[in-house]
Amino acid sequence: MKKVGLGVIGLGYIGKIHLRNGLKLENAHIVGVSDLSKRALDDAKILGVKKTFTNYEQLLKEPNLDSVIIGLPTHLHLDCAIRAIEAGKHVLLEKPIARDVKEAKEIVSAAQRNSVKLMIGYPHRFNPAFRELKEKIESGELGDVEIAYATFISSGPFFHRTVGYVPSPVPEWWFDKELTGGGALMDLGCHLINLLRWYFGEITGINSYLGYRFNIDLEDHAICMTQFESGTTGAINVGWFSQEYQLKIDLLGSVSHASAQHRPENRLVAAARMLTTGISKLYWPHLAELQYFAKCLIQDSKPSPSGEDGLKDLEAISLAYKNAVDLERWR
Amino acid sequence: MSSVSFVKIQKNAVSSVKQAIHEALGLIDYSFKKATKNVVIKPNLCYYWDYSTGQTTDPRFVEALIGLLREKIVPNPSISIVEADASAMKCRHVFRMLGYEKLARECDVKLVNLSEDQSDIAEVTVGKRAFRLRVPRTIQDADLRINVPKIKYTPRETKITCALKNIFGCNPYPKKSRFHPELKEVIVATNKAMRFNLCIIDGNIVSGIQPRRLGLVMASKDPVAVDAAAASIIGLNPDMRYLRLASKEGLGSMFFTPKGVSLNYFKARYPKKDAETKLVNMVYSLVVRMRLGRRIGLE
Repeated sequence: MKKVGLGVIGLGYIGKIHLRNGLKLENAHIVGVSDLSKRALDDAKILGVKKTFTNYEQLLKEPNLDSVIIGLPTHLHLDCAIRAIEAGKHVLLEKPIARDVKEAKEIVSAAQRNSVKLMIGYPHRFNPAFRELKEKIESGELGDVEIAYATFISSGPFFHRTVGYVPSPVPEWWFDKELTGGGALMDLGCHLINLLRWYFGEITGINSYLGYRFNIDLEDHAICMTQFESGTTGAINVGWFSQEYQLKIDLLGSVSHASAQHRPENRLVAAARMLTTGISKLYWPHLAELQYFAKCLIQDSKPSPSGEDGLKDLEAISLAYKNAVDLERWR
Repeated sequence: MSSVSFVKIQKNAVSSVKQAIHEALGLIDYSFKKATKNVVIKPNLCYYWDYSTGQTTDPRFVEALIGLLREKIVPNPSISIVEADASAMKCRHVFRMLGYEKLARECDVKLVNLSEDQSDIAEVTVGKRAFRLRVPRTIQDADLRINVPKIKYTPRETKITCALKNIFGCNPYPKKSRFHPELKEVIVATNKAMRFNLCIIDGNIVSGIQPRRLGLVMASKDPVAVDAAAASIIGLNPDMRYLRLASKEGLGSMFFTPKGVSLNYFKARYPKKDAETKLVNMVYSLVVRMRLGRRIGLE
């Protein structure tokens, strides 16, 4: 069986997950990895990666490399994605596609121009619970879904308060709006917007309320009211403020209702699973996503969610920021 | 024997916290000196977790304390809230995120990042071990130093984080993890180099296994006695090597006279570790000791 040659650029939180998953794939192999941190590269070597680079340009020159997974901070997506695309490599680019619509358009058109496959990292599209919702909508089981209530709450870039664990530093770029392009709405909202667009089609209208519990320049929570072309109204709630993780979608239809959620498993089970298999259940969708990406490359099919999807998600977020309602005026 | 007072905060409001602090200080016969010019307050701002997690000192608790200081000390002293950068935390973010910048504006107090403060070297011995520690000028220049810690479990060998460990946070060197191999000695050395006059514990919301409103204010002039009391409250035996060392080095006494509400009232309500948490912590410690963390992605 043909195996796809994968490279991982950026070994931060998400890059490490992709790397560990990539090493488990039967239809792909890891050619090499790139990161500025020597420690991260040493960790990759411990995991069995043979070629490590501090400069991703060198990784892109590797002859067996078919594609790269880009898990860099958002402000570095544009440069890195363009260079990979121009080197003829297919790209799995972490969400959000870029900091703004202009950058996203540049990435998408570069991929089109170079006939390169571009997929955006939305692992929850591969989560069985959320796929089941899609099937229920399409089968008519729910009737017309009038209201979709989507929630994604976590501690965001700030470490979970868990007894027995020591907090890790938050990379400085997370505090800089110029570098992230946005806060919780950008970071978590893009997942929900992508899922709801997948379910209900394009967004015809969106506005938002942005909250700032932590007094930083980035919103740490947001509520969006969204209208979809199917006629469904979506309420999207995101937040970085909580020590408890919740990713949940409730669909209220004219015939029936359905809910799906993605939640961390019991800590003891998760610890045991990490020790035995190296992957917690929380990251199974990431593994399925990578398997699918490799399959698309082997079968020469267009991956979904595509770069165009990532662009549309960002356009919606950009509009939500533009239409943000100032609740202070209501008080 | 030192006195440690225990007072219940009646309502979750600044005025009620202020009243509780006042009562707690009264029970240990503490009164602020009129001539005090520079006050330093050291809260626990270990990370970007806000007060609701019970991990960091509530700015409203500090606000209540500042209110009391302004009332009791005439003319008004200069007040500085101090913290130092840590391995995973930067003061410039933590002051803003946890509401201390707002507090400083509203209460006209200074925020000092001790990692950016001028400092002098102090030589301290703990047993036969000698330490050279940087002591920030803001702390040296203060004539009243108030320690406002939390009561928490820690995975470190000290088992608890309360008064003594909070002062370790005054060490201006940001990469504090380098001190962890001899943590208890460094904590004791730091407390010897930077003596605080008073401990007032923010036990309004405590962390434990999960956050809970305990409504406790604890006060003492003796940090060792406070830590011994804190250990009892969270269900640990206060006869710890760490506290024995601190006591032996002259930082205080492990034995104390309780004043006010019974310690057992708070002990019964503290959210203690359950069996599952203990097991998860054990697995985690095992992973760290066997150096498996990097392999399985826990680090």
